[in-house]
Amino acid sequence: MATKAYTLPTNVAPETVANIRSLVRIVSLALISAAAISSRLFAVVNFESIIHEFDPWFNYRATKLLAAKGFYEFWNWFDPTAWYPLGRVVGGTIYPGLMATSGVIYNVLHALNLPVDIRNICVLLAPGFSALTAWSTYMFTKELKDESAGLLAAAFIGIVPGYISRSVAGSYDNEAIAIFLLMFTFYCWIKALKTGSAFFGTLAALFYFYMVAAWGGYAFITNMIPLHALALILMGRFSSRLYVAYSSWYAIGTLASMQVPFVGFQPVRTSEHMAALGVFGLLQIIAFAELVRSHVSSKQFQTLLYASVVAMGLVGFFGIVGLTYKGWIAPWTGRFYSLWDTGYAKKYIPIIASVSEHQPTAWPSFFMDLHMLIFLFPAGVIMCFSKLRDEHIFVIIYSVVASYFAGVMVRLMLTLTPVVCVAAAVALSSLLDTYIDPTEPVPEEIEPTEAEATPQDPAKKSKKAAPAGNPTSLGEYFSRFTGNTNKPRGIFGINNRLIVLFNTFGMLVFFVIHCTWVTSNAYSSPSVVLASTGADGNPHIIDDFREAYYWLRQNTPEDAVVMSWWDYGYQIAGMANRTTLVDNNTWNNTHIATVGKAMSSSEEVAYPILKKHDVDYILIIFGGLLGYSGDDINKFLWMVRIAQGVWPDEIQEPNYFTKQGEYRVDDRAPDTMKNSLMYKMSYYRFNELFGGQQAMDRVRGQQMPKQGPTLDYLDEAFTSENWIVRIYQVRKEDILGRDLKIANAFEQGRKRKKTKPPVRRRALA
Amino acid sequence: MAPKSSAATKQHATPAPAAAPEASPAAAGNALQSLLNAYNQNTSPRLKLIDAFLVFLMISGVLQFLYCVLVTNFPFNAFLAGFGSCVGQFVLTASLRSQVNPANRNEFKDISPERAFADFALGSIVLHFFVYNFLG
Amino acid sequence: MLLRRAAALLALVLTACARSSTGDSVLVVLDPSLDKDAYSTFWAGLTDKGYNLTFRTAKEAQPEIIQDEVAQFSHVVVFAPESKNLAQDLTPQALVSLLDKGTNLLLALSPSKQTTINTLASEFSLVLPPPGTPLISHFPARDAPATVVPVSPPAAHPVLSSGLPPVWFSGVPFAYTPNPLLIPILSAPAESFAADTSSDSGADAVFESADRAGEGLWAGSSLSLVAGFQATTGARVTFVGGVETFSDEFAQKELPQGKSSGNKQFAEDVAGWTFQETNALRIDKVEHHRVNETEPREMYTTNDNVVFTLHVSKFNPIKDTWEPYSGIKDMQLEFTMLDPHIRTSLPPIPGKAGEYSVAFRVPDRHGVFKFVVNHKRKGWTHLESTTVVPVVPPRHDEYPRFLSAAWPYYIGAMSTSAAFVLFVALWLSGDDREGRKKGLKTE
Repeated sequence: MATKAYTLPTNVAPETVANIRSLVRIVSLALISAAAISSRLFAVVNFESIIHEFDPWFNYRATKLLAAKGFYEFWNWFDPTAWYPLGRVVGGTIYPGLMATSGVIYNVLHALNLPVDIRNICVLLAPGFSALTAWSTYMFTKELKDESAGLLAAAFIGIVPGYISRSVAGSYDNEAIAIFLLMFTFYCWIKALKTGSAFFGTLAALFYFYMVAAWGGYAFITNMIPLHALALILMGRFSSRLYVAYSSWYAIGTLASMQVPFVGFQPVRTSEHMAALGVFGLLQIIAFAELVRSHVSSKQFQTLLYASVVAMGLVGFFGIVGLTYKGWIAPWTGRFYSLWDTGYAKKYIPIIASVSEHQPTAWPSFFMDLHMLIFLFPAGVIMCFSKLRDEHIFVIIYSVVASYFAGVMVRLMLTLTPVVCVAAAVALSSLLDTYIDPTEPVPEEIEPTEAEATPQDPAKKSKKAAPAGNPTSLGEYFSRFTGNTNKPRGIFGINNRLIVLFNTFGMLVFFVIHCTWVTSNAYSSPSVVLASTGADGNPHIIDDFREAYYWLRQNTPEDAVVMSWWDYGYQIAGMANRTTLVDNNTWNNTHIATVGKAMSSSEEVAYPILKKHDVDYILIIFGGLLGYSGDDINKFLWMVRIAQGVWPDEIQEPNYFTKQGEYRVDDRAPDTMKNSLMYKMSYYRFNELFGGQQAMDRVRGQQMPKQGPTLDYLDEAFTSENWIVRIYQVRKEDILGRDLKIANAFEQGRKRKKTKPPVRRRALA
Repeated sequence: MAPKSSAATKQHATPAPAAAPEASPAAAGNALQSLLNAYNQNTSPRLKLIDAFLVFLMISGVLQFLYCVLVTNFPFNAFLAGFGSCVGQFVLTASLRSQVNPANRNEFKDISPERAFADFALGSIVLHFFVYNFLG
Repeated sequence: MLLRRAAALLALVLTACARSSTGDSVLVVLDPSLDKDAYSTFWAGLTDKGYNLTFRTAKEAQPEIIQDEVAQFSHVVVFAPESKNLAQDLTPQALVSLLDKGTNLLLALSPSKQTTINTLASEFSLVLPPPGTPLISHFPARDAPATVVPVSPPAAHPVLSSGLPPVWFSGVPFAYTPNPLLIPILSAPAESFAADTSSDSGADAVFESADRAGEGLWAGSSLSLVAGFQATTGARVTFVGGVETFSDEFAQKELPQGKSSGNKQFAEDVAGWTFQETNALRIDKVEHHRVNETEPREMYTTNDNVVFTLHVSKFNPIKDTWEPYSGIKDMQLEFTMLDPHIRTSLPPIPGKAGEYSVAFRVPDRHGVFKFVVNHKRKGWTHLESTTVVPVVPPRHDEYPRFLSAAWPYYIGAMSTSAAFVLFVALWLSGDDREGRKKGLKTE
């Protein structure tokens, strides 16, 4: 008869308990959803209902078109204002899932006579889907452990900053819906695998299709599921359930994924998708072998069969390799390589390396994004080892792979976050289970030897136990530390329970506080509008970007072409509605390099490039006055590097450094730097602002030269209030066919050097 | 496209008992004989119906693949759709087969044969939807 | 832009009934020392054509040329070789800005002084010799001084009438650096040179002047005497090395052979060209559409067949109207995205006056393309036209749908579906039977 640490009421009917449990579950899920949504609304509260950052502006623009003109127009949309003059076949180069989702919501709401602005749908889509993510994480974790772990996981994913960073209100990006799809596809997969149901396999395929339509990160699923299947096969866990689940997922999912124009034939043509195909083939072979084996018992035949299976597997593998070699299957792309070799991108594809979210993750950001979950995560993974059902293997593989990728690239932190939440929830829930469970172990069953050994050296004991003893739960760890290493595990007394539970509760509270703080301070800035705090502590909104974009919209001809670094392409298109040369969709390296070259060359060299591309205005971001560090001078080296990649003879990165190898903008800056268009545009008339005193660049913290740069081929058209955005107009060619530098000198009345006639013959001496 | 089919056809080429390689060693011949016998004895008519369907799909897939390799693969999407429908239907049917096979009863505790058939029908309908969408 | 301006000018011209395509008001700026009547033939010629001449001296400020940023005169003649500095509104910068506003200029250089106009000349790629070195030629033998030279005009020149007798010239020659906008009208005779007249006493003078200048000899037919210049705005400028070319005296002066000189006609030709009477072209209309259609499309699809039509008119100074003009044989059309993807000749259509048309197939490349016509011939108005059209890939329903090559696949897919239906039917019927069997068994 087990003793109880505290008594539970016993006069409650089991049905009542069950009912209350499900009610509490539903209420908790609803509250979690509410928390998930409302914590993402900081951005709207602190600023306004506005689309954030860069990519969302394009998505928003595309969605507006979709809502206005319908799906087929959107499908066939050719955007002549992007990538001028190449244009962009938008329908075939995007993942339309996000826009289609908003479009459907928009149409449904309008069909219900709810005239909601499309912008508000876009702004609030990500928070809305975060609630769904919480729900799907709950379902996923429920499959792994039980409902309470599921609720914990849902709560974690609802407010964890690692996910909030990509899903605050206004962050209208593919990731907003993709994480939900990711989790739900995985849930369907686990479910299909557990039950061997083709229904869940089909469901997984459908959500996989949705995921493919929504985010390029679908390749993660494409490789995770085969990896899991392969691991199961290698562990000798092949079963008909695996066959059913995988086959139905792959056959339908692959065919479905090819419906997305951007993906096209890739699933059968590129190496990234070959793993899935290979595992599919392998499964067929094994399934067939199993079938035959079930009908025949001849030993010899089985040997033969295994030999032939292995041979076929090898032939298939070499077939794929050979086809890759012959070019039938595209080899891995650069982005893929950069996942393995972090230095690869910097060397060969600066355009990818230049994106800040492609940088390796800094260690503090793990803590910043995951807080205490990062400590619970390994514990959860180890617990998965202790059970090691098929779905636990999945979580283990997922954790390992995602941890690696998250370390390589900041943006892939997003794929790590769900599994961290799941694993942490499993760990925490086991802990709580152990400590809330009122059952006390029976003290008589303590084996004397162990009881003697433990109090003296509990730490050593646990160390020993960890590798050898296959600990079944975190509770066991704790119980070992507290000296209760009994076979029937449990905790004695109520005090121990209260201490641990109180600690856990405290951790959770800190977690919530941390999440709220990070969300409101770090991740809610729209980056289109900046906030600063004045000397008196009052918040001050810096709205230079929109000021400049609206200036462009109001004051330039509608067909004007605006050149800027590609970061601002989507914003110019979205807010100023003007044609851009390059934008955030970095599909054409040469075109971006052209812009880089124009920015990093001298005026005379840049002018023909500008003319050739019909550039009317150039927009740059300059933070020197305000101390805004994300400006173009700080990005300038990337422009140089990308241009150098295409024109290594004309642009050389070392020329932009001083002899000592410093990156300077002051007197000691090298001439190449000082003559570059970007430098001149940034600091043009900057000196005048300081009224005779020496100008000071607040970002670089350097004193500017006394004599500011001059411009001959450009006219300053607009400079925003805080000088963050500066717009220059490209001059027309001189009406007399002169070089603009000379024409400018003439305009200013400077004496011209007397030209001499071309020498035709020498005078006789 | 070739890799997909290579994996699939290979496994197509073998399961048909009639189409088993002639050049196998004598022991294998015996084994084949016993395999056939065992098959005939142990398989219920419903499974045989499934097997007949599977054989049909296999032949259809092989023919399409041969046409693609030997004649033209030009409307590649049509090839993928046609071939994919064969392969997809094949694996779905094979799934059904393993689910309703009484020998696998213990593996599929949650799935009754009726449920399996409903799953199969749903999966197939979804599959055919995508096939026709992709075909033209 | 060009079209609009041309249309506005046309309206102006029609009401004013002038001979120029750009307007009839002329401001003549003269040196105080210059005798206006000595050029009466020239003035009379202009007045006869219908120009309103307004005279003012170089130092006067009234009437203003530019008021409130608007040019008050369509043409400005500056015959002021003696004035070193001109009035405020005639600075080099102001004159260039006049060109920007479409005003035509006829400018006389000074052989003796470094005047404003001489300074300005260098902006037009003209290179003047040092002051005080006029053109000298001792051939052919004549009773005039060596600085008064009869010059034979080129035989065929777009600006000048054909068969023009030699022209008397006295003034400064100039060299020029290559500039596609420059149109040399009158070149110096091969045996002439520029030198200091006071010490002109033979070969030594030639040598000395060459030596002094230090950069070779200012001599020969590579020097120019009268040169036209057409700014990118279409405004025309003519620099004349010596103002006397337009004088009554030279018009009446007999040539050494005893014939009358060509000066009168030459002056008329030069003024006519400068004031955009002659060789003035314009593009009236640009049309493009798909073959067998009439309306232009907002965007074209790759591999469309497209017809491009250009309507060109030429100004007729006699009738004072714009008339359709089919005389251009070498017009070209480019279909450009960064680089020309298609470059084809744009021939005149026989039977349709002023129409130039060509049909071509749009390249198999999507992007923002431009129809570019860029016809620049020396002496003629530049014809430039750019029309932007996006070229898009076919829509999803514009690709060929059912291909014969794909029939096996269609059959395959359909047979699979049919077999599936059949299978389901068989299965369900079998299911019934089995169910019954099962039922029997359970019973």
